[in-house]
Amino acid sequence: MQNDRPCSCPGPSGGWPGPPTSRRRFLERAGGGLGLIALATLLQEQGLLARAAPAPVPSPLAPKPPHFAARAQRVIFLFMSGGPSHVDLFDPKPELIRLAGQPIPESFGTFKTRRNVAKNKLLPPLRRFRARGQSGMEISDWLPHIASHADELCLLRGCYGDSVTHPESVYLMNTGSILMGRASLGAWATYGLGTENQNLPAFVVLPDPGGWVKGGAPAWSNGYLPAAFQGTLLRGGSAPILHLNTPAGVSSEQQAATVEFINQLNRQDLLAGDEQSELAARIAAYELAFRMQAHAPRVVDLSSESPATRELYGLDKKMTAEFGTRCLLARRLIEAGVRFVQIYCGDTNGWDGHSDMEGNHSRLCAASDRPIAALLTDLRARGLLDSTLLIWGGEFGRMPMSEGSDGRDHNPHGFSMWLAGGGVHPGQIIGGTDALGLRATTDKTHVHDIHATILHLLGLEHERLTFRRNDRDERLTDVAGQVIRQAVG
Amino acid sequence: MASRTRQTLWVYLAWLALLHLKAGNDATAQQGSGEPRAHWAFQPVRSVAPPHPQTTAWMRNPIDAFILDGLEKASLSPAPRADAAQLIRRLTLALIGRPPSPEELEAFVRDPSADAYARLVDRLLDSPQYGERWARHWLDLARYAESDGFEHDAIRPAAWRYRDYVIQSFNGNKPYDRFIAEQIAGDLLWPETPAALVATGFNLLGPDMVDSADQVQRRLNTLNDMTDTTGAVVMGLTFGCARCHDHKTEPFTQRDYYQLQAFFAPASFQRERPVPTPEEQRIYDVAMRGYDAQTGDFRRAISALEAPARQHLLDEKLSKLSEDAQLAHRTPPAQRTREQEGTVQETAPMIQVTDREVEKALAPEQLRQRKEQLAKLNRVPKPTPLPLAMMLQSSNGPSPKTFILARGDYNNPREEVAPGYPAVLCRLKKAELPADPAPAPGSPRLNRDALAKWLTRPDHPLTARVLVNRIWQHHFGRGLVATPSDFGTRGAAPSHPELLDWLAAEFIRSGWHLKQLHRLILNSSAYQQSATATPDTLARDPDNRWFSRQTRTRLEGEVIRDSLLAISGRLNGAQFGPSVFPPIPADITRTSKNWTSDPEAAAHMRRSIYIFARRNLRFPFLEAFDSPDSNLSCPERGRSTTAPQSLTLLNSDDVMEAAGATAERVRRQAPDLNSQIQYAYRLILSRPPTPKELALSRQFIKTSDQRQLDSDRTQPQPEQGKNDRNAAQPPPGLREFCRALFNLNSFVYAE
Repeated sequence: MQNDRPCSCPGPSGGWPGPPTSRRRFLERAGGGLGLIALATLLQEQGLLARAAPAPVPSPLAPKPPHFAARAQRVIFLFMSGGPSHVDLFDPKPELIRLAGQPIPESFGTFKTRRNVAKNKLLPPLRRFRARGQSGMEISDWLPHIASHADELCLLRGCYGDSVTHPESVYLMNTGSILMGRASLGAWATYGLGTENQNLPAFVVLPDPGGWVKGGAPAWSNGYLPAAFQGTLLRGGSAPILHLNTPAGVSSEQQAATVEFINQLNRQDLLAGDEQSELAARIAAYELAFRMQAHAPRVVDLSSESPATRELYGLDKKMTAEFGTRCLLARRLIEAGVRFVQIYCGDTNGWDGHSDMEGNHSRLCAASDRPIAALLTDLRARGLLDSTLLIWGGEFGRMPMSEGSDGRDHNPHGFSMWLAGGGVHPGQIIGGTDALGLRATTDKTHVHDIHATILHLLGLEHERLTFRRNDRDERLTDVAGQVIRQAVG
Repeated sequence: MASRTRQTLWVYLAWLALLHLKAGNDATAQQGSGEPRAHWAFQPVRSVAPPHPQTTAWMRNPIDAFILDGLEKASLSPAPRADAAQLIRRLTLALIGRPPSPEELEAFVRDPSADAYARLVDRLLDSPQYGERWARHWLDLARYAESDGFEHDAIRPAAWRYRDYVIQSFNGNKPYDRFIAEQIAGDLLWPETPAALVATGFNLLGPDMVDSADQVQRRLNTLNDMTDTTGAVVMGLTFGCARCHDHKTEPFTQRDYYQLQAFFAPASFQRERPVPTPEEQRIYDVAMRGYDAQTGDFRRAISALEAPARQHLLDEKLSKLSEDAQLAHRTPPAQRTREQEGTVQETAPMIQVTDREVEKALAPEQLRQRKEQLAKLNRVPKPTPLPLAMMLQSSNGPSPKTFILARGDYNNPREEVAPGYPAVLCRLKKAELPADPAPAPGSPRLNRDALAKWLTRPDHPLTARVLVNRIWQHHFGRGLVATPSDFGTRGAAPSHPELLDWLAAEFIRSGWHLKQLHRLILNSSAYQQSATATPDTLARDPDNRWFSRQTRTRLEGEVIRDSLLAISGRLNGAQFGPSVFPPIPADITRTSKNWTSDPEAAAHMRRSIYIFARRNLRFPFLEAFDSPDSNLSCPERGRSTTAPQSLTLLNSDDVMEAAGATAERVRRQAPDLNSQIQYAYRLILSRPPTPKELALSRQFIKTSDQRQLDSDRTQPQPEQGKNDRNAAQPPPGLREFCRALFNLNSFVYAE
């Protein structure tokens, strides 16, 4: 809307550097890896790696057993920032066609809106809905590729939240509270489970290159949890993590030598009779940083992906290349053992179609439909879908009535999300909204319930996953939340 | 016989009862178990005499008597005194937030006089940088930031005045009771003192969703935030839990919570209000009269031209507001009720008529005339505007009612409450009464100034204890109470309850002076202990519960960054004023768009406390080292050890630039490699290298230089400018060496 250009899809030449093409650059990066090997050898020779080193400090990110057998090992959260319209995508409302152009019947009572649209005329769905797959789940023509996976989705049509504004709803969906400063879902998941690959961050966030979600970094914050659980921003290209690369003007050999010198001097301190675990942990952190320098660029290097895979994710098309790249990255991260990946789809305004819903949703559906379907296909083909939970949703849905002539306002009272893979019960629809899609009415699921369900699939009991702060056992679901039994089978 | 037996039995029973009572008291005093109201922290500060441990030679002041007594009882002995170089480094980092210069180091190490250490403490406490260092601890507690957070994260242009107020208060050694009273009710107690007005900004520093769809909830959120923060920061109590229900573990009721909140309820929340000194006001008034006289005709002409359009636009906007809001706006300001004032303030942005809208509504001829008048008006320079600040202000009309809210929900009001103090702090024996009890119905309403006075009563059981514990915490790495903002029954029991009370009493006796408290603590032998533990001490006091040694602590991000600037000779020592925006990595600005770095490089070198504190984008260097997120009061920073920290210290521009400039400084200062290494060690780590370190360093620098030479030889650079660059850039060995020293534990930790 406010953005005329399709800025969420700048293509490989846009904000996102494409895969490295130059062999020299690749070798430069691999230098880190060689340095690491040299370092490890040196440490082993000096007997420092295994024997003389003080008892290793357990990393806060070391894998931890779940509360009970987990169905999902990892999560990819596809966050549609700005709030996609359920009544145009996943929640068909024939009544909305019938009553189009009229004000909402008085029987619907009063409700909060963001922009005083309550008395506006009803706007009919902008796309036709069709029954899909064996399940007959109705999904609109705006998402034909995702629709072809209907039998794999567990569609939640009765979601609701607590606020009509973006940041409050973004915080609620991410941290379980409309207030700022709480710990995010990804932070809680990694706090509960640690991560499988100690050479990569545990919780990775792939923001939209067009701009951060409304509410910003607190959406992936560790809140009051230790800093190790904070989401790490990651990009494609040769410098995927902040400060990962060797500084300009320093050769990779020099970098390896400097790191080795640092560790050598730091070990002097330790050998001087000091067994302080914190200092040992710092040495370990340098080793991890060094390993990350080698691993992270390899994980984000898409050059080893086959042309078929690249095409599957739409990397060959301008419209889908940017988001497709991030979906493919997400799969590679998950494969490498990252616990929690969150991808934001849509720039700062994103799906926020206050005006020109047609243009706004057409653009974002076209950018995301195929890559998301590809992710489902690809994870299935690699045998990863059963252990990887996919979550699709925004901070809220949109109103059945129009804003201006062709937009829709925020609607936290009823909206749709879906889960797939990760042991969810596929091909079913849970909950529903009223005849016009205004409010969740049957089998309603509050955001707390969705969080409880996500943690449950990860083998975590939401009431037991707590962190003590100021005399209170804080948890993601505050004092609420019920696992959606129907979704977990 | 029978009588005698009965007598014995009575004596025995009485003895049993006494024993039982005593056991109960001990348990309460030590673990805070039992009757919650009898919890130690709710009792008055006791008057305690220092104990008499056996070894007296070690003791420098009464603090040591308490510490040594504890050590002796645990069969421990204190660690030896740290050496002079360690002491000056520890003190300088602790009090002014950077390491000593090599000259300061040298002078102190060579000073044989008995009072050299005490003089050093005094010198550092007198440094204007002391306030910059210690204000940061307070700003963590005050959840200080300079933007609203939420979606727009709008800048609060006047917020920095609070930061300056805190720095100046610390530097001026403002008594702590006054410091607290100013922040709670400076507007009521000292309405003529600008600093006291700025101080009340404390209550408004939290995040705020300005454009909330529910403005009643928004105001309630702010009230909750200031109630919770006052409870946690001043009293070390977790009141927030009692917002939705009676506290589950503490003797606080929902009534206590809303009584406390009722003190704040009448205040109006001013985001940008003039806070001039009388002199500034006088100058401004004179200038303004002159300006009015010069421009009156133009302004009147413009108003007349605009009036109809403006009125029309205003009416149009007003008509879209609720009826209540319309009525509030149409009521003359002096006659508005408190609720109406709130409504007006909250809805003001929605009815604001912009110049642009007026311009659109005017006819071409009117527009031309307006432009003409505007041009004349703009030729007259405007008087310098008055300084602005965020503050609380008392307001017109009857105070709004405060209700106990079921589950904290304003749609569920229950009983009405008047301002009053937490009952548990008023239920002591009469002689020890620290508080006016909650007022009887019908008695005059207590105001915020009464709360300020109550909090700072010398017999308040918590205010002084909580503060001395915070100071101890920063000097020893852990408070005597390990949960610095939770002195409740579920908080940690004090490791040295008598010392805590003695310090609190001493602090009050000295007139609540922080610098005296610092002096007392820093001059103790306990503080001056070495941080190195013997295996025996480690085995018997692994967590340093008895303070059998100093604690090695990782420096805060601010101290690391300031030290990098100071060591490399680039620190811009300018104090106070609007915050600065040093550059942050382009990777972040590409997507967050909330940071435009200052054009002037000098601004990039200011101390970290002057870096703009944006809620939705923490300064990345500081964030990597656990800077708090400023949404909730932070009593104790995390001390994480993460790979992103290592990457920041290894690869960030901040460190590379510091390493380059430090190498230059070292090269200028010392003629040969050995003395360069010696100097760099003193400059960065405040100590000379060991012979082994010297040898390793020599080898590293030489190898690094050689590596560069080899690579230049084998990989011919592009023709252009090659020689120039080589001539300008010295070999990298020394820079790499400095970069390495910045990554050492001994740089990042204070011991």
